[in-house]
Amino acid sequence: MNRRQFIQQALAFSAGFSFSLPEVFAAPVTRPDLAIVTGKNYRDVVVQSIELLGGIEQFVHTGDTVVVKPNIGWDRNPEQAANTNPLVVKGLIELALDAGASRVDLFDHTCNEKRRCYQNSGMVDMVKSFGSKKVRLEHIDPRKFIPVQIEKGKSLTSWEIYEQAISADVYINVPVAKHHGLGVLSLGLKNSMGVIGGNRGKLHHDLGQRLADLATVVSPTLTVIDATRILLRNGPQGGSLDDVKQLDQVIASVDPVAADAYGTTLFGLVPEDIASTVAANKMGLGQMDLTKVNMRKKTL
Amino acid sequence: MGKAGSVNRYRLWYWARVLVQLCSLLLFLFLFIKTDYSGSDTIEYAVNILFRIDPLLAFCTMLAARTFIALMIPALILVVLSLFFGRFFCGWLCPMGGFLDFWRFCWRIKTSRKETRYPRLPRILLLFLLVCALFGLPFVGYFDPFSILVRGLVQAVYPAIRFISDSFFGYTYHNLPAAVNLVTEPVYAFMQATILPFEQRFYELTLVSGLILAAVFFSEFFQSRFFCRNVCPLGALLGLFGRYGTMSLRGGDESCGKCTLCRTGCRMGAVDENRKILSSTCILCMDCMLKCPKQIIHPQLRAPLTTAAGDTMTNSREASISRRQFLVCLSAGAALPPLLAVRNHGGKGQGTLIRPPGALIEQEFLSSCVRCGECIQVCITNGLQPAFFQAGLEGAFTPYLLARSGYCEFNCTLCGQVCPTGAIEPLELDQKHTRKIGHAWFDKNICLPFAKNIPCIVCEEHCPTPDKAIKFNLVEVITGQGERITLKQPYVVDELCIGCGICETKCPLPGRAAIFVTNTGEDRDPENRLPGAETATIDGYS
Repeated sequence: MNRRQFIQQALAFSAGFSFSLPEVFAAPVTRPDLAIVTGKNYRDVVVQSIELLGGIEQFVHTGDTVVVKPNIGWDRNPEQAANTNPLVVKGLIELALDAGASRVDLFDHTCNEKRRCYQNSGMVDMVKSFGSKKVRLEHIDPRKFIPVQIEKGKSLTSWEIYEQAISADVYINVPVAKHHGLGVLSLGLKNSMGVIGGNRGKLHHDLGQRLADLATVVSPTLTVIDATRILLRNGPQGGSLDDVKQLDQVIASVDPVAADAYGTTLFGLVPEDIASTVAANKMGLGQMDLTKVNMRKKTL
Repeated sequence: MGKAGSVNRYRLWYWARVLVQLCSLLLFLFLFIKTDYSGSDTIEYAVNILFRIDPLLAFCTMLAARTFIALMIPALILVVLSLFFGRFFCGWLCPMGGFLDFWRFCWRIKTSRKETRYPRLPRILLLFLLVCALFGLPFVGYFDPFSILVRGLVQAVYPAIRFISDSFFGYTYHNLPAAVNLVTEPVYAFMQATILPFEQRFYELTLVSGLILAAVFFSEFFQSRFFCRNVCPLGALLGLFGRYGTMSLRGGDESCGKCTLCRTGCRMGAVDENRKILSSTCILCMDCMLKCPKQIIHPQLRAPLTTAAGDTMTNSREASISRRQFLVCLSAGAALPPLLAVRNHGGKGQGTLIRPPGALIEQEFLSSCVRCGECIQVCITNGLQPAFFQAGLEGAFTPYLLARSGYCEFNCTLCGQVCPTGAIEPLELDQKHTRKIGHAWFDKNICLPFAKNIPCIVCEEHCPTPDKAIKFNLVEVITGQGERITLKQPYVVDELCIGCGICETKCPLPGRAAIFVTNTGEDRDPENRLPGAETATIDGYS
């Protein structure tokens, strides 16, 4: 930043034209609830979105165990936007390692055959590129589901949850924003279905409330919604590139409800259209009224 | 000739054979484990090569299907080699024979002195299978040694090993202290990465396939190489070539000491009272060469296509079939087809016989399928199951999709790639995507949005066609409490559904699924078109 930009920003701020502080003052003073970054380089987009939230050091500390939970539910490739883009996930893993994470685990309880999902989503190759034993992409081990009481649950009072998703120091939820027949959209709260066991189809009977109930026990440190490509129709697994829209955007937030609420607007819908968002907001899990959310947008 | 007590000059030959046999077993096991998805859409190696070098399967399948099967050309190699070296395959390379020898070694089973129980049976069986094949009946897979072996391993032994490992390491994980797990967990991880099947599988014919294989192994306690001597039709076929082989073993003669060590020690019972060696039975294991105190038994060469000197009158009578037996085989094989043809199939499995994508039309499929179970082994969702009698007596062990057990993975084409006979054609991915193997139907009496006004549509969520074959209507209904609610009620689009069955697999209703697939509408059979999809033509008159 040169002197001229600094003066312009400082003037704009003091004149009330801009809600964002001049960058030199920004970090310690306010942190937005929601960071929305757009750009072609997905790794940089992710890094920048976390930077806007105050930097990864706010969330990951030296020696922490970190779970990064992408959506790897389907035997689809990244262009088809049914799974989280591996580049987005890669950016987060890099940040976590830089912040001193002792290990970073990735997993998903897939819908299609596990190996095909991990392979064709691009996650296997992405994790291999780290060449580090700290970064692990392992298949779900059926022994490691533990029954959990969901005390605040209204419709779901207990369920089997993958132990690591609860025990990790840091849990970063990285859903892809996409269409879903029953839930209307699949965003952050829906992505949590990838860490639970049992007959998951049963959750569909009161999906919105049950996802909110689940969010009371599977609570992410960070939600990073991958909207680099979003799936508009035939979700949640799509398959046709005609149904994919490229937005090159990532939404990061510590508030899972606000992240989902904003993600909804990308589809031309309002937060009230998503039952899980409404239910979670009602339970006090986060803010769905976007006018009350402090958001910061940036284009790279 | 060597002196007693001196080192046997044939011992290197003998150990060379043991080494080759061991390597062939290891290769078999390697290929067996590799017969699985490996991260690539194409399979690199698979144990199916074993079935492609099997001349018995090749003859019977081509005869039954009345077509030349290029995939089975490698069987010629074995025919040619047998013309030179007789039944060497049985003693040197056959994995079934290798396992049986290893099995006797493990249990310290002494080679039986008993005469071969039914020396003629293998040839009778061979003839019967060929006659059946001639009449279009595919029975060869029920008796072929590789089919029996691989079926038993895939459907019983291998999943059982997984179950035992999972139970053991599940126990250590849940019940033992962390110090123990420090050791057991890496062992488990290593086993999973190397020898264990990727996931626990379940098979409908585990007990049947397992028992057949067990019978072969436990008959060793009765007689060494019992199956090979008394049943194996492949061995009988190779023995026929072996009779004219250019290399065989020269047995003892008048001058030898009449100790009959060769005869009592022969695992195949190939040495007669006069210490002559039957070249149609001898598998060149060279036990006798090692045991003969005078070391007079040795390999001999002879002109091609002449019977060996050892095949005396008695010997050839022992293994040949009588005219009566020949006629019985012929008439049995001829009598079966009309009997099988007039059975009432009751709609052939009530539409449950969903064949893998790429399967030939049923009659051709049945005659080409050798029941090796390769497709069943490689099916990554555990959806393909061996049929029992759904497809009739002649359809046992053939693959069908049991959708409640697993579905046909949209982007997977492995079953067609491993089929050794082309009974399942290999499909390109785009062909596979549109190949209709069956059709999904709702049972609205139990489907939640219809029967109980409960939202669900898990089927729609999982439907893999890019334009979903399951769609839904938004319907306003009045609940039992008089409440007016809108609900998504699913339906199937005929033109889009390919019958993969994932909807049935994933239907969250416990027990019977509320959506199920039948083979109705399958592409391979024009007679089985969905109502409305028939073309108004008669075969051949378009």
